[in-house]
Amino acid sequence: MTAGGSAPHLPARARRAARRFAEIVCPPEMAAHHRTDRVLGELELMLAAVAPEARKALTFTLVVLDQAARLRPRSRGRRFSQLDDEAAEAYVRSVLASRSVPAEFVRRLKSLVVMCYYELPVVQREIGYHPAPYIAAVSKRRLESYGPEIRAGEAAVTAPEVMRAGEVAGAAGVVSAGDVAGARDEGARDEGAGDEGAGDEGAREGGSRR
Amino acid sequence: MSTPAGLTTQADITEDLSLECGVVIVGSGAGGATVAADLAEAGADVVVLEEGGYHPTESFRPETGRALRTLYRDGGGGATIGRPSVLFAEGRCVGGSTVVNGGMSWRTPAGVLDRWAKQDGVLEISEAEMAPYFARFEARNSVGTQDPETIGRNSLLLKAGADAEGWAILPNRRNQLHCAGTSNCSNGCPTGAKRSMAVTSVPRALAFGARIIAGCRVDRVTRSGHSVTGVTGHVVGPGGVRGPRVVVRARAVIVAAGSIQTPALLLRSGLGSASGQLGRNLSLHPNANVVAFFDSDVTGWQGVHQAFQIREFLAEGIMMSAQNLTPSMLAGVIPGYGRELGEMMADYNRVVTAGPLIEDTGTGRVRNVPGLGTQVFYRVTDKDAARVVRGVELTAEALFAAGARRVVLPFNGAPDVRDPADLRRLLTRPVPRRSVELYSIHLMGTARMSEDPRRGVVDSYGAFHGVRGLFVCDASVFPGPIGINPMETVIALAMRNARRLIEQRRRYALLPGLCSRADKSQCWLADKSQCQMATGVPGTYSNPESGLPVGAWFRCE
Repeated sequence: MTAGGSAPHLPARARRAARRFAEIVCPPEMAAHHRTDRVLGELELMLAAVAPEARKALTFTLVVLDQAARLRPRSRGRRFSQLDDEAAEAYVRSVLASRSVPAEFVRRLKSLVVMCYYELPVVQREIGYHPAPYIAAVSKRRLESYGPEIRAGEAAVTAPEVMRAGEVAGAAGVVSAGDVAGARDEGARDEGAGDEGAGDEGAREGGSRR
Repeated sequence: MSTPAGLTTQADITEDLSLECGVVIVGSGAGGATVAADLAEAGADVVVLEEGGYHPTESFRPETGRALRTLYRDGGGGATIGRPSVLFAEGRCVGGSTVVNGGMSWRTPAGVLDRWAKQDGVLEISEAEMAPYFARFEARNSVGTQDPETIGRNSLLLKAGADAEGWAILPNRRNQLHCAGTSNCSNGCPTGAKRSMAVTSVPRALAFGARIIAGCRVDRVTRSGHSVTGVTGHVVGPGGVRGPRVVVRARAVIVAAGSIQTPALLLRSGLGSASGQLGRNLSLHPNANVVAFFDSDVTGWQGVHQAFQIREFLAEGIMMSAQNLTPSMLAGVIPGYGRELGEMMADYNRVVTAGPLIEDTGTGRVRNVPGLGTQVFYRVTDKDAARVVRGVELTAEALFAAGARRVVLPFNGAPDVRDPADLRRLLTRPVPRRSVELYSIHLMGTARMSEDPRRGVVDSYGAFHGVRGLFVCDASVFPGPIGINPMETVIALAMRNARRLIEQRRRYALLPGLCSRADKSQCWLADKSQCQMATGVPGTYSNPESGLPVGAWFRCE
């Protein structure tokens, strides 16, 4: 799956609508600081990751959003991507306030677009979110405070447990070598029974369902 | 990026692949990885097929978009069909959802287990019978409460609010080995402190000889008559492109792909259960976000994800907690846009995000719709909607009690509220059900357990009714919602089902096949016939732990 780098581009019509939509739903700093292309790039990456049906639906939503604006008298026949700021904002406001099914898709699109804006590192820094130094500091503190326990815990991950050497009477919930040996005997009885159904019954009577 | 021995990634497979093994497991999350580790340790020849990629701890960074694209199914953008639609997220990577969850580790409530035993006829499910499995998971995965220095101010504010209201609030139990409190759980833990399956049961399974193929999507479970014969699938290439075909022949198939993908796979394999319940009974613990603004800095990203849970209203099916959202996630849930959104987000460091989780009474259904793929239908009932509204009200009350000056509610079109009186005034009017904005990360119940094949899809141990050698081992076997975080329940049931399989390994013909233990010095057998390769040789060997001779034991040379 696409992690970064290139992603399929939106069709031109949809991209035009996405650009105008982003200019309306993202804070004005996006356009003022020439961040729109980066937001659209992030949006294309996200659309490449969603399910194909959802991608089609969201792309179609952009096209419909663009064209449906022409039906509003105030638009005077213009598409959404051609509306001035005031008319475009009024149009988006009315769509987002609606409780229709298409409006739900537009709301989802709005969430996705603003997510993409706030995913830009420069925007995160502007609002005071800079987690990398914090993560480095607390990671260091963790190792300094609990290093031996952490190393022991990590080493225990691959320590034998289910069939621990020499263990026959394991604690409840732990499968011991004895259990496995017993299971073999039980299985042999099943096979000896020949009939599948009889084998099943044999296993039930073997006492494993307490 | 280096990969551990035994793990094959999609990049390594350039042509069609055919494998044979004892057990093939579909999915490497809480259920799949646990059962893989236990079966591999017991000597079974295990192959795990995981649709997502392999991402080691050092690759995890605080980048939400990147995480959504690489660690989650469909970019984390799942949505139910229904009004309101519930957004949901599923992990899709080696380790499954345990890589991106908060790590909450709670035992199944006794009342839930009792209900499953009495109403659903599930065997060996009492609190006492499950306790050893819970204990084993908790020991293996370092379950405990947080070190105090890692608890962030957002959690402390929620606790202050709950304390002011006189409500029961508990320190959260998480699978963490001295969690550093990076607040990066949902993007993958960058320290490995969260003991997800990717750093516990997956390496454990590999160490005991299991083979894992990452980036392999299973298309169908294959069978002959009433017995499974394996699975077929394909490698998932870059951008989701279909790659080489993968065929695995196995004597047992364990499906552990989660409550959406498990029924979807079984249904497209033509394995509808006699009960007609496969894909039905979906529960999803709807959640809602309440965003509160404070006058002073909270910096919620400095501290652990969900340090506490408010349990005061558990009897009403409501649990509450605070969880920090990254800027992009918060922007996605705030209803405003444009300049208003910018002004709200400028206060990002003064925000506490909290909310209720609801034990739902509604159910949904997973279906494969021609042309549309797997779709999830779910109806939020009036009762559940009322619970959400009540949970939102309680959460907002706690946050006001902690000093919040403004609260944004998850009701589309609702105004912000500035104080408790404002909140009560607003909620005197009914909240339209379809205006509630919900999400879920707890998906359960689409292949439910019951000993009665007319009621359940699988038996008490995950064995699919009517198909020999087919098992389900994930949250889809839950007979109903549990009201709390489900990971520990999934893992405990997986351990219990693995034990059952080991007890019956001969019955399911799991013994034949080559021993693939990575470290054969760990293999000690009571009887030579136990050795699959018949290479066990007698001798007087010492127990490596006690140093005492163990006499008649055999070991591999």
